[in-house]
Amino acid sequence: MDLYARRRFRNRIVLGLSICATGIGLGWLVLILGTLVYQGLSGLSLAVFTEMTPPPGSDGGLLNPIVGSLMLTVLAIAIGTPIGIMAGTYMAEYGKYAKLTMVVRFINDILLSAPSIVVGLFIYEILVAPMGHFSGWAGAVALAVIVIPVVVRTTEDMLSLVPTELREAATALGMPRFHVIGHVSYRAARAGIITGVLLAVARISGETAPLLFTALNNQFFSADLNGPISSLPVVIFQFALSPYADWQKLAWIGALIITFAVLALSITARALTASRKSS
Amino acid sequence: MNSMAGMGNTTQPPVPTVIDRPAQASAKLTEKVLVRNLSFYYGSNKALKAVNVPLYDRKVTAFIGPSGCGKSTLLRILNRIYDLYPNQRAEGEVLLDGKNILNPGQDLNLLRARIGMVFQKPTPFPMSIHENIAFGVRLFENLPRAEIEERVQSALRRAAIWDEVKDKLHANGLSLSGGQQQRLCIARTIAVKPEVILLDEPCSALDPISTAKIEELIDELKDDYTIAIVTHNMQQAARVSDYTAFMYLGELVEFDNTSKMFTTPADRRTQDYITGRFG
Amino acid sequence: MHEPGGQKVVDLALSGGVEASSAISRTKILGRLRLSDHLFRHVTRAAAVLVLVILSGVIVALIQGSLPALQAFGFDFLTEERWNPVTEKFGAFAPIYGTLVTSFIAMLIAVPLGLLISLFLTELCPLWLRRPIGIAIELLAGIPSIIYGIWGLFVFAPFLQRTMQPFLIDLFGNVPVLSSLFEGPPYGIGMLTAGLILAIMVLPFVTSISRDVFEAVPPVLKEAAYGVGCTTWEVVRHVVLPYARVGVIGGIMLGLGRALGETMAVTFVIGNAHKVSASILAPGTTISATIANEFTEAVGDLYTSALIALGLILFIITFIVLAAARLMLMRIERRIG
Repeated sequence: MDLYARRRFRNRIVLGLSICATGIGLGWLVLILGTLVYQGLSGLSLAVFTEMTPPPGSDGGLLNPIVGSLMLTVLAIAIGTPIGIMAGTYMAEYGKYAKLTMVVRFINDILLSAPSIVVGLFIYEILVAPMGHFSGWAGAVALAVIVIPVVVRTTEDMLSLVPTELREAATALGMPRFHVIGHVSYRAARAGIITGVLLAVARISGETAPLLFTALNNQFFSADLNGPISSLPVVIFQFALSPYADWQKLAWIGALIITFAVLALSITARALTASRKSS
Repeated sequence: MNSMAGMGNTTQPPVPTVIDRPAQASAKLTEKVLVRNLSFYYGSNKALKAVNVPLYDRKVTAFIGPSGCGKSTLLRILNRIYDLYPNQRAEGEVLLDGKNILNPGQDLNLLRARIGMVFQKPTPFPMSIHENIAFGVRLFENLPRAEIEERVQSALRRAAIWDEVKDKLHANGLSLSGGQQQRLCIARTIAVKPEVILLDEPCSALDPISTAKIEELIDELKDDYTIAIVTHNMQQAARVSDYTAFMYLGELVEFDNTSKMFTTPADRRTQDYITGRFG
Repeated sequence: MHEPGGQKVVDLALSGGVEASSAISRTKILGRLRLSDHLFRHVTRAAAVLVLVILSGVIVALIQGSLPALQAFGFDFLTEERWNPVTEKFGAFAPIYGTLVTSFIAMLIAVPLGLLISLFLTELCPLWLRRPIGIAIELLAGIPSIIYGIWGLFVFAPFLQRTMQPFLIDLFGNVPVLSSLFEGPPYGIGMLTAGLILAIMVLPFVTSISRDVFEAVPPVLKEAAYGVGCTTWEVVRHVVLPYARVGVIGGIMLGLGRALGETMAVTFVIGNAHKVSASILAPGTTISATIANEFTEAVGDLYTSALIALGLILFIITFIVLAAARLMLMRIERRIG
């Protein structure tokens, strides 16, 4: 083969490989989602949402983990979002040129990708051990620690996108800084910040590790945050690893519920960003 | 004010000259704003060098000069909007009605309520047209709804845009055309009842028809406000201003009555710029 | 121009009424607002500082919790393979080994795949397909890790047990060195399986960062290469990759950081055996899997402390990797933006 033919051959191989790679990547997605639907959909019924987790061998549902997850998620967002937005606001507005901001940004990005099990250990050390027992509060705080870096990052990014001229125009009217931030910057960046919160919700919905030794689990329905509280990911963990077929079935159903909740949130968040860009 | 005194003479002065205008003006000429020995630094870069210039009350003063001569920098010192950024500092004095506004104790928000600014790029806030105006008014005064409506209307009328927006006051400010947005920004600035209005190349992003409308507006506004306008369009300066300041490389080269400056400039550099030898 | 509203403005301006009355009330109002401004500034600053406090808190808490174990075992903790809760002899060697091996396998597969997918998306893919495929790949990142775990346990592992593992064992059975890598009965679960699952999880990270960096290559550079007659592959190899090198490495390290810390996906399929084996088909354990499996049942302070010490080691490893990744990406961001 002459040189040119060899080059073209090599090119074709690589391009072919890249198509294969994309096919593999997409294939995994289809495979995983397909299995989820196949295994979980058949068991989906109203009972799943109304009955408690059963002992092995009997029928039941996922009421307590679903309620528990909802409670923990709402609480975590309630704790983490204000802190995250405030911090992001400082970094993009008051402290835009401050050294502190550079350091916080760096540290925040590391926390963003840090192993979530370590967060669980941290909260265990500072909340569970002193308190002497597992609790929903500890679980919520652990999740909040995961929410904060996500919200900080998106808030700072979105606020930084607000054009400086807009801020200058508001300042030139005589507006004090927090008015400029509240009425102009926030308003302009609103969709982006909401997107950030949605992404945070999606992220913590599937987190298991931080809950394993903070909120633990509860086989009965409990809305008491002072004690161990059930959550979908932890229940899935427990049931899937068990040898009981009906428990495993419930695990699949729970997995289906979580996955589609998370995907719906991600798609909504994406749609929000897209509509912002086009307007 | 020794740098101000001095008679116009026929010899070429080697230093920047500020020439007293001919005594034919009927009204008494007061200095609303006086810039004294003003120098400005971006970091270690000296952008303005000991500038001395007055802004006469209820007159339009134009600042012309090639790119980078410091005219926008000077304007941005007058309402201390440069304060938003680190590494930028001013030395010297800027007297508003005799009081130095570069004083560290100066209340910046109050200053900006008295000296308003319109920017090169139209910057309507992300709110309705009505809110854009009412927002600034509400900031400083606690007025009943009816009075706010009236203030909004009078500002929009004053800015010669009322007829075009009176039926869509609740439409988003961004839905207007470029020229209309700029007039909205002017209306917003006037609504706060400033004493001085700074215009930083207000027409450079607009089409000729909008430009003409705004120039007409400036002519009407000068009855009530002291106006300073930075423009890279000499013809515009000649059309709208009473006094013109020519700046070059951070220095004030010449300041004079507009008609005199454009017909018989005293400094060689002014002559060269006006006749298009450089710029 | 001279109707009621306009007239008022004119009158007020001319009469100086603007200055006299409203100046005083303005000062009052602005004075009040200044306090709120100060407050807001300090609240936001405190929130930013809180992020630093959280990080320090994590480090301090981990160190404090691991002290008993570190004092008892010293540096031998890192090299000791035994993990015996009964005799209270703990060693981190097996978990560390498992973490490193599974992550290595994951990167070995995810990096080439990710780069190839980015190549496809930036050079080959028709425009209308780009966004959907990009979104699909990112959805992979959005799927919670526990889903990967149960999918791995119930679908992937049995599949590997039936097909791939016997294949590998036969293939390398007689090859001198490699046979020890692929030795052992096909359990289905094990380090290879965990590594493969991790690869799927890490793939979207490598892909999206590589794609961003590939797209940031100035078109003029590519056009110059095409203009000389280079094939697509040659343009990528000689122009795009060198230009994007730092960013790609940053993305790879970010993916590595993720792989090292991943818990749920791995716990299901790693086999949870505190053993170091040469064969990647054998079961093993990783740091996060050990903690996840044993923490709630850990009896005794030393046991708990050993687990927390594991967490500390994991945190240090991932911190170093993530910090290095961020530094590289910061450099590339400065170049682009």
